[in-house]
Amino acid sequence: MRRLSLCAVLVPLTFAIACACARANTIVRLSADHIQFYYDSFLIEADGNVRVSTSDGFTASGDAFSMDLKLNRFLVAGHVVMQGGGQRVGGAALSDFLDFNRLYFVPVTTAPDRWTFLNGDLAHPIKGRVMPGDTFAFPTVPKNPSITASEVVIGTKNYARFTGAWAYVGGLGLPLGSYVVNFSSNQYFAQNSLTGANFDATWNFAGNNNSLSALHLRYDTFNHTYLAFEQHFVGDHEYAIFSANPLTKPDRFFNLTAYEKIGQRFQIQTFTQLNINQGILFPAPPYSVTQTTYVNMTQAFPHSYLQLTSNFTNYNMLGPGSVNPTSHNPVGAGNLSHPSQIQLTATSFQNRIGKLPLYEQIYGGYGFNHDSVGANQYYFPIPPSESGLQSFGGNCVYKKGEQPVPCPTTYTTIWNEVAGFSLFTPAVKIGNRDNPYETYYLNAALSKQRQWNSLPHHIDQTITTFSLSRQFARPLNSYLSYQIQNTADRYLQGGYQPCSSVILVNGKSESNPLCPSGLTSFLGASTLRTLSLGTNYAPNPEFNASLVARQHTDFPRPYQNVFPLPLNNVLGQPLYNNYLGQPPYDLTGDVRFRILPHMLLDVQRTYYFNYGPIQWSPNFIVQVLPN
Amino acid sequence: MPLRRALVAVSALLAIALIAAGPTIAVTGQLLAYQDGFVFFTTGDGFRVATGVAIRDASGNAPTTIVPAPRIWARAHFDATGTVTQLDLSRTPLPQEGSFGDVAKFAVALSSPIPNPDLMPPSPEPGHTLVPTQHFSGRPVLVTFTVQVPPNTAFSASIYMTTDTSGWNAQAIPMDRIDALHYQITRRFNSGTIFRYLYDRGSFQSQEIAENGLQRTPRQIVVTDADVRVIRDTVYAWLDSRSNANGQQPNGLPTPYNPAPFPNLPSGFPTPGIPGPHKTAAPSHLQ
Repeated sequence: MRRLSLCAVLVPLTFAIACACARANTIVRLSADHIQFYYDSFLIEADGNVRVSTSDGFTASGDAFSMDLKLNRFLVAGHVVMQGGGQRVGGAALSDFLDFNRLYFVPVTTAPDRWTFLNGDLAHPIKGRVMPGDTFAFPTVPKNPSITASEVVIGTKNYARFTGAWAYVGGLGLPLGSYVVNFSSNQYFAQNSLTGANFDATWNFAGNNNSLSALHLRYDTFNHTYLAFEQHFVGDHEYAIFSANPLTKPDRFFNLTAYEKIGQRFQIQTFTQLNINQGILFPAPPYSVTQTTYVNMTQAFPHSYLQLTSNFTNYNMLGPGSVNPTSHNPVGAGNLSHPSQIQLTATSFQNRIGKLPLYEQIYGGYGFNHDSVGANQYYFPIPPSESGLQSFGGNCVYKKGEQPVPCPTTYTTIWNEVAGFSLFTPAVKIGNRDNPYETYYLNAALSKQRQWNSLPHHIDQTITTFSLSRQFARPLNSYLSYQIQNTADRYLQGGYQPCSSVILVNGKSESNPLCPSGLTSFLGASTLRTLSLGTNYAPNPEFNASLVARQHTDFPRPYQNVFPLPLNNVLGQPLYNNYLGQPPYDLTGDVRFRILPHMLLDVQRTYYFNYGPIQWSPNFIVQVLPN
Repeated sequence: MPLRRALVAVSALLAIALIAAGPTIAVTGQLLAYQDGFVFFTTGDGFRVATGVAIRDASGNAPTTIVPAPRIWARAHFDATGTVTQLDLSRTPLPQEGSFGDVAKFAVALSSPIPNPDLMPPSPEPGHTLVPTQHFSGRPVLVTFTVQVPPNTAFSASIYMTTDTSGWNAQAIPMDRIDALHYQITRRFNSGTIFRYLYDRGSFQSQEIAENGLQRTPRQIVVTDADVRVIRDTVYAWLDSRSNANGQQPNGLPTPYNPAPFPNLPSGFPTPGIPGPHKTAAPSHLQ
């Protein structure tokens, strides 16, 4: 299994790195006394001692330079000297339309003229040819540059790598040395292997058409402030991305994600993570090392697709002897267990049912989970009193003629079969359909899933959602929604037993604080009902405010200090979407506004009503959004 | 006969004098270059400059320290022969005066103009008509994106747009829920902007996938001239929404497999089992 996961990582990685050298666009190298880059409009402007050379084979010097990175053309003006095709000609300006292979030149020999070079042939100008009207136009530039530099290498349509760079945020300059602006349309540059963060300032210090190296200064609620590193290798049909995050904290995650698309209908994607807890300094012996690898494959069909997902984990890679706590490592490195999981799922497209405003989608799957040690053994090296994935039922007969005693069977592998469907209507118009501000939209969705397990029980989950929404004015819309989520875990024999509301303490009966009366009737079936009223006010793209009020009417009923609160992710958001014990009423406000031309601030806070000491949500959720 | 010749000569001199004393033509524009006895504007036209050309400040007709150079704005005064006799300079754009069409005849070029096939309108195929090309003025356009999400998307999910103009940051543009299945956001873009984007739930592990389950290529729009544009998209599935499979998280070990669907039952709640006199202890994965 380890060899298999290693191969799964290396195959797409090899493809990605090999293909990272395959693509080539024109490279433009520019140096000047002053170079400015404007992020708003993707313009590079330069003045004073301009020197330009291109991979197409010519060099030029002049007084001023202007390039529109999106239009992919540049202009050199003022005392231009162009060298190429064995010629050296002076002139007033040249303009290179790279996408069209047209170089327009205004030479000054005995007098000005107009020359056009076609398809890179610099030896044979076409003289007098009429030029496009805006050939030599300078663009209007914003007031303040985003970056200044002394040199820049421009990989057309992909990146600009600045040397001697200063970045300006809110008028303040920050020396960066080297900085890469990536504007490639290759979506694989979008992939990353970092987790989310409340704030992320990225320094792309190296890169080209197919790679990008970045150092990140980040903040999140768990790690606080730290540095992270990320390296992209990107090809036309593949990528490999490595990251180390957080670099400056003892508990580091080294991630590698790789992807390869083979043909038009098949893809393989892997993700491998190495978690090393080693203290701040790398030379210190590690406390724990953990590895996990995912391998996912997808085969597309004309109206459906098949996905194979798998996961293999080593919870302790330090080996025997590292399990027990020592003076160096008081926690221990964790169990030597290596659970695994494979799931094969077939999913249909969304299909409209007849001519009804109704759509359906079905899916089904088969797979297994294997774990010989058990969930509670992962971090604590205690004897496996409760091993495997689950213990259930079973009797043991120890002595002939005596009653058997309960002796649960330990299940280390559980197979499952899954089937489910979704039925939904996207938007049914109600009311005055001629006036968009008087039209109501009705949405409804039903999702149902059943999972059968080899340990004989099945889990049913049904989620039903209705909503009625209306746009009252261009900046104001509102919705009313009602959702019912039913979950039932039913065993062929036995199953969930009611908890006891009374316990014996020193021979006396006392009420069990962990089993309030509302929980005694819980037998493995829950119903969560949520009524939501949401309003969103967005008068302009620079400001947005939203308010969502929710009422939860759940079974089992929530009780303070009985149901644990869900864990939060690093942004402070709950990991579970729906969970038992949700406070009955909550109100969430979110305000988003522009603080800089390309930066928004988003602040969110939740207030819980009538739920004891829990009032404000654990944290403000604050995000700085590069927009 | 001599009298007639003398009259013609006098008339010619008079005409020349009248032309020379006549009103000059002035045009404003941005300089491309100033060199070799010529001044070039961003139209690409080069005009001959008089030997003693007057260089003045455009704001007050006074002497200036501004040197004619690329990017400088100028008002050029032409004499009747098409020579530039005065340049009024400014670092900021000047109000439009005159037209370069009126002075094009003064532009100096060694070669005669020949037509450019690149600029000629393409000939339509027989039986076809040409669709007018789109015009981009560069003015701001409000673009509203409305996306329909898969029906199994959690109601509390946050939806974002990730774009090539924000370095593909997964949380670049947060969207707002407008009903059970739709999210919306309005942004302002200049017309002519070419914009690529994808939807996600806040990370690239939760990015949208294509209807056939494969990673999808980014959507692309070209912002055309309009007051408002509305873009309607559909997300068919999320990358991490595979049924009953562990989701990969960049900074988190896989969640131990939990055969029970209730992740946060109270501590000490009995584990599922066969009813009997003895209960097994609750394993922590059910706690």
